Amino acid sequence: MANRLQNVTESLAVVVLLHSGLQAQVPAAAEQLQTGQRVFAAQCGFCHGRDAMGGETGPSLTKSPLVRDDTSGDKVRALLRDGRVDKGMPAFRLADNEVAAIIAFIRDQRTSANGARRTVDVADLQSGNADRGRSYFNGAGRCATCHSPTADLAGVANRLQGLELLQRMLYPAKSRAAKVTVTTRSGETITGTLAYRDEFTIALTDATGRYRSWLTREITFAVDNPLDAHVEQLGRYTDDDMHDVLAYLQTFR
Amino acid sequence: MTTCTTCWRISRHFAKALAPIVLVAAVSAQEGGDGWRTYHGDNTGRRHSPLTQVTPANVHQMTLVWAFATGDTSQIKGTPIVANGIVYVTTPDNVWAIDARSAHQLWRYTYPKNEGFHIGHRGVAIDNNSVFFTTPDAHLIALDANTGKEKWNVVVADAKKGYWSTNAPLLIRNHLIVGVAGDFDNLPGMLTSFDPVTGAKQWVFYSTPPPGTDGNPSDGATGGQMWMTGTYDARLNLLFVGTGNPTPVLNGPARAGDNRWTDSIVALNPDSGKLAWGFQATRHDTHDWDAAEVPVLVDAAFNGAPSQLLLQASRNGYFYVLDRTTGRSLLTKPFATANWAKGIDQDGRPIPNPEKEPARDGRLVAPDESGGTNYRSPSFDPGSGLLLVSAHDAYGIYFFKADHGAYGWAGADYGVYGTSVLRAIDYRTGAVRWHHDLGEGASGAGVLTTASGVTFTGDTAGNVLGLRTADGATLWHAAIGRVGNSPITYELDGRQFMLVGGGSSLYAWALPEPPAVR
Repeated sequence: MANRLQNVTESLAVVVLLHSGLQAQVPAAAEQLQTGQRVFAAQCGFCHGRDAMGGETGPSLTKSPLVRDDTSGDKVRALLRDGRVDKGMPAFRLADNEVAAIIAFIRDQRTSANGARRTVDVADLQSGNADRGRSYFNGAGRCATCHSPTADLAGVANRLQGLELLQRMLYPAKSRAAKVTVTTRSGETITGTLAYRDEFTIALTDATGRYRSWLTREITFAVDNPLDAHVEQLGRYTDDDMHDVLAYLQTFR
Repeated sequence: MTTCTTCWRISRHFAKALAPIVLVAAVSAQEGGDGWRTYHGDNTGRRHSPLTQVTPANVHQMTLVWAFATGDTSQIKGTPIVANGIVYVTTPDNVWAIDARSAHQLWRYTYPKNEGFHIGHRGVAIDNNSVFFTTPDAHLIALDANTGKEKWNVVVADAKKGYWSTNAPLLIRNHLIVGVAGDFDNLPGMLTSFDPVTGAKQWVFYSTPPPGTDGNPSDGATGGQMWMTGTYDARLNLLFVGTGNPTPVLNGPARAGDNRWTDSIVALNPDSGKLAWGFQATRHDTHDWDAAEVPVLVDAAFNGAPSQLLLQASRNGYFYVLDRTTGRSLLTKPFATANWAKGIDQDGRPIPNPEKEPARDGRLVAPDESGGTNYRSPSFDPGSGLLLVSAHDAYGIYFFKADHGAYGWAGADYGVYGTSVLRAIDYRTGAVRWHHDLGEGASGAGVLTTASGVTFTGDTAGNVLGLRTADGATLWHAAIGRVGNSPITYELDGRQFMLVGGGSSLYAWALPEPPAVR
């Protein structure tokens, strides 16, 4: 959940900072910063730190790659309003001036000298050996079963660096959706992309884009989740393996 | 490729006919089912009800009696308290008193805006006239139980230093025991006792030494906050409470040593606050693994001898059985994925592997920061001898470098992947008799068991579940949104209710009533 939460909260930062970028080239007034600090500390501080530089479960909002890369932010503006309670992030019922104050506060923190409390720099992650990583990738790690440096991973080191690359290597949460095949009692077989799953309901999106769901007790189903191999590998990696594979991936340019 | 059938989440592979567990006199068992008067339902922390109207045979008939939408955006994470037909439920800054029959609101108390962390709230404590409530800025408020009007307001700890509170106080006779939190600053761990009538401070127990203490008993560590509600044995007159992680949180070199009494279970005299004994669940923790989880008190045979036991499924992924008269370890065994220990020492404590301390280039560690379990309560079923724990198998990556400093968090960590599983642990061996998958992610739901053999909990998808305690089979469910608290049960008008929070609403379930005869 922490991973999901980080995705959500990083996205939140996008909205906050983009919004601020649209409207505030003028330095924020001291009073607004104080309001922003107060509201941020109470509502956001546990997850993101009182200083917006990371707290318990939440990353720094001042160093997020999404903040760097995203150009829209509409989704997360809505997220700030509605929350995603099922993912652990509540809705925030904040007045417009409070939201603006939070924005100003994070902008101010972004430029302050105190930062980097929870940052991991690319230079920190250079302890691995790419040759050993190649051996692991092709051998014990079984990475080559699904991946290739000349196909899906070609140029990956140009797209992702440092912590972001390491996180995606360990568990690429959004990369490939699981496939599910449902067999009804009448013998009909339906295959699609897994759209929802709990103990009682399973749903897929079929080839036409239609969402279809069933009670699990009424059908049988089989899930093929390419990420299962990543989960299994978490229990097999030594820390050296992890750093070596990262070093190898960093050669994919 | 995973092949699934209709019962894919249930593994009864290990379920078997359960040998009856002979229990000697249970510690201050539930006095009856007509309320839920304390955080755990009684002083033992077993969260086990004597009520038997709802059974494995009829639980599938349960129906919604009422739902109470707080209207607040905060999730309900606390335990509702029920007494004299009134339910008291909380979110940060808010207490509601509602009719347990109808959900009609009697009053709402709202605390003024403040800067404390609004991360969650565990609930109130009550006596005959008062409702006791902690605030995000670490105050303790007494409210008139009839009106919700403030009777007094005292400071528990200085919020400006970084303390906050989510704590449900524990009332032991004339001692109101209140804990605080404070991970983001290097603060001594404090547990404070107040006079429930006047709010006067009675004593403070420090789990790590306050400034000015002679010597260096914690090896330079601060922290060890006691933010969860403890348990109490009246015969021994001992209060048991779990302490939190040391600070600085991820910086181990700054506090080389065991860092007592962080990540520990401590036994205190509730009249004086003096330490009787301590047991450290994690020595020199560098992963935020509070041992604040519920210390469950069980009187039962252990190795053939009647024993006064304390059970804890701890955030570090290990299950502990202690002799609660002395704190001596009887059993230590992992219940969730854990890769951080080299073995178990002669005192029953896992031996931390220094290679798994946070490092500049990162260490892949299980559990992750949210732990093998957390504040969500377990439940002990005396009939089967099972401790039911909402467990979390999860990996995180942990970083520390000198640039992160030695204050507060002092490092960085990121969750990688986790999945939740309800595990039924045999208290005598630590073996998992059965498990029930709860889905990917971390469940926020605690566990309730009843004497009729029903278990209630929640999964990660927003379903509240009714299971058969004997083998974990699903008997009933309802999709109510994220279950963020631990279910409770009580009897009113001859009817057994089960209350559980889903999102920011509270739901009351019971068996259907027959139509009224006119």
